[in-house]
Amino acid sequence: MRRTSTSRTRRSGYAVVLLALSVIGTLYTAVAGPSAATEEPASSQSMAIEEGRDFYLSGCSTCHGLDLTGGAGGPSLIGVGASSVIFQVESGRMPLSAGFQQAPRKDVRYTREQIDALAAYIQSNGGGLTLPEGDLTDGDLQLGGALFRTNCASCHNFAGSGGALTYGKYAPELEQASPRVIYSAMQSGPESMPRYGDNQLTELEKKSIVRYVRYISESEDVGGAGLGRYGPLTEGLVIWVVGITVLVLMTLWIGARA
Amino acid sequence: MSNPPSDADRPLADQLSSRPPDEASGPGDTRGSSVDQDEFQNTDSRAQLQAEGRGEAQLDSSKTPEPAPDYSHLPPSDRDWNIAERKVAGLFFLAVLGVLGFLVTFFAVEQEFGQPGNVYFTPLLGIFMTMALGGVGAGTVLWAKLLMVDEEAVQERHPFGSDPDERAATAKALRQGIEDTGLPRRKLLRRSLMLGAGSLALLPLPFLGFLGRFQHKERVLATTSWREGVRLIRQNGTPVKLGDLQIGGVESVFPDVEHGTLKADSPALLIRMRPEDLQLPAEQQEWAYQGHVVYSSICTHLGCPVKLYEQQTHNLLCPCHQSIFKASTGATVIFGPAARALPQLAISVDDEGYFVAGGDFAESIGPSYWERG
Repeated sequence: MRRTSTSRTRRSGYAVVLLALSVIGTLYTAVAGPSAATEEPASSQSMAIEEGRDFYLSGCSTCHGLDLTGGAGGPSLIGVGASSVIFQVESGRMPLSAGFQQAPRKDVRYTREQIDALAAYIQSNGGGLTLPEGDLTDGDLQLGGALFRTNCASCHNFAGSGGALTYGKYAPELEQASPRVIYSAMQSGPESMPRYGDNQLTELEKKSIVRYVRYISESEDVGGAGLGRYGPLTEGLVIWVVGITVLVLMTLWIGARA
Repeated sequence: MSNPPSDADRPLADQLSSRPPDEASGPGDTRGSSVDQDEFQNTDSRAQLQAEGRGEAQLDSSKTPEPAPDYSHLPPSDRDWNIAERKVAGLFFLAVLGVLGFLVTFFAVEQEFGQPGNVYFTPLLGIFMTMALGGVGAGTVLWAKLLMVDEEAVQERHPFGSDPDERAATAKALRQGIEDTGLPRRKLLRRSLMLGAGSLALLPLPFLGFLGRFQHKERVLATTSWREGVRLIRQNGTPVKLGDLQIGGVESVFPDVEHGTLKADSPALLIRMRPEDLQLPAEQQEWAYQGHVVYSSICTHLGCPVKLYEQQTHNLLCPCHQSIFKASTGATVIFGPAARALPQLAISVDDEGYFVAGGDFAESIGPSYWERG
């Protein structure tokens, strides 16, 4: 009786363990199922980071250091975020070719995918600002114009033609800037440019500014030559130098004896 | 006198063909006879006669005879004449082409407002319009130069003065008028008038340095709309909260009063930098708040908006005359024509976390003026 009861207890113990194991197993599959499904993107993300690391070591580490902590002439890149990388590399400013007062815009050295890989690598080291997903020009054109004139036009000119700053520095013209570059410039505040956090200019407001900048850059110059879109300065110069000269020559021709 | 009357009466074709006989091209020339020089001699003497008839001194045209019309440039032969005519006609036809081109471009090229269209649309319109207007203009000028008589005409001035009778009559009327007032005879009237009119000279006396009483006691030029506790708002009217700006951020701010964003003397620039970067003068250190500083954004040189802020160097540049202010040391002038620092606005944060002014600017904003104090 005692024996059978112990064996019965033992059997029921096995049953409980089996049941518990099966429940845990089911639960594990249920929980681990989705994570197993996301394994594929995660590995491509880590592959992008690996690829970005290679680009970094060959193209950037000379100045910024092998461990991103900065070095001869280059600042530390820990925590600057993907946004800064996209601004610097997609506008061709990095890699820098020589020590300038200000990094000039150059031909872009990397493809879009390579830039994203580099950005993913930098982002994986200390985090930082990232660009929002989706279309960066998805904003309100009119709002963007008002915000541009309030916040940006004092340096970049009302038509985005850029302008001089102090001691040889300058605010670049914006016609060549891609939406990603414009957005990340506002977000990260490269070099002399002030930073505009999301509390100051919301994502929608930033996208509106991007849309406005692209709009004025893509709209053609009615009347032919834009003359740099600097307004009365260049237009007046052309009128006085070219226009008046032509008029004087015409007058001389009319007044000259045949 | 530019055209002698006798010339004006003659038909144009006749005038055009007026050339000295020695330059006539020969028997084939059918365009009228040679000109007689006497006609122009007569013109001179007629002018001379007219001048003497006026009885006034003036340029004696007989001493500077009008030069005879110059025919040397006119085409010497029929063939040359035709060539010159074709040149002019060609330019006129160019104008026709210009008009046609303009119309074709205007109606044929698709162009909608605001749409990126054909880059060459407006330049083409301009080129064709230049052809149209320039063709007519240049053709006319060339016509005058190649095919018309080249004559230098002298136009005499009219005498300037009125004639003696008129002058005498005017003088007499004036003298009579003075007599009629009675001033020459009435001594009292004359002297009291001189005294009264002379005393007028004392009227400007207050302007010679006694206007101090009317100096603006309200100090309108020295005060703005900023008051203690007034919030800092953006151009769209929203107040600025602590933490809205990141380090290296700037924001144009205005006083939260009625029409605050339209007050011309109140715009200011809120800047956030690392607190350790701030090296304000001792008396201004209380005016900053956790690395936030506010300066008047009106240049102390000539009043341009100073909003070009470099977040790395903390330089504030005035775009008009390149004055540079150092935002980290109290907007002191480090370059350029500005004579004094941008006035700083004292700020703090209210209970809800919004920035408020601690009072008005301590000194006048904008360009210096005489009694700024």
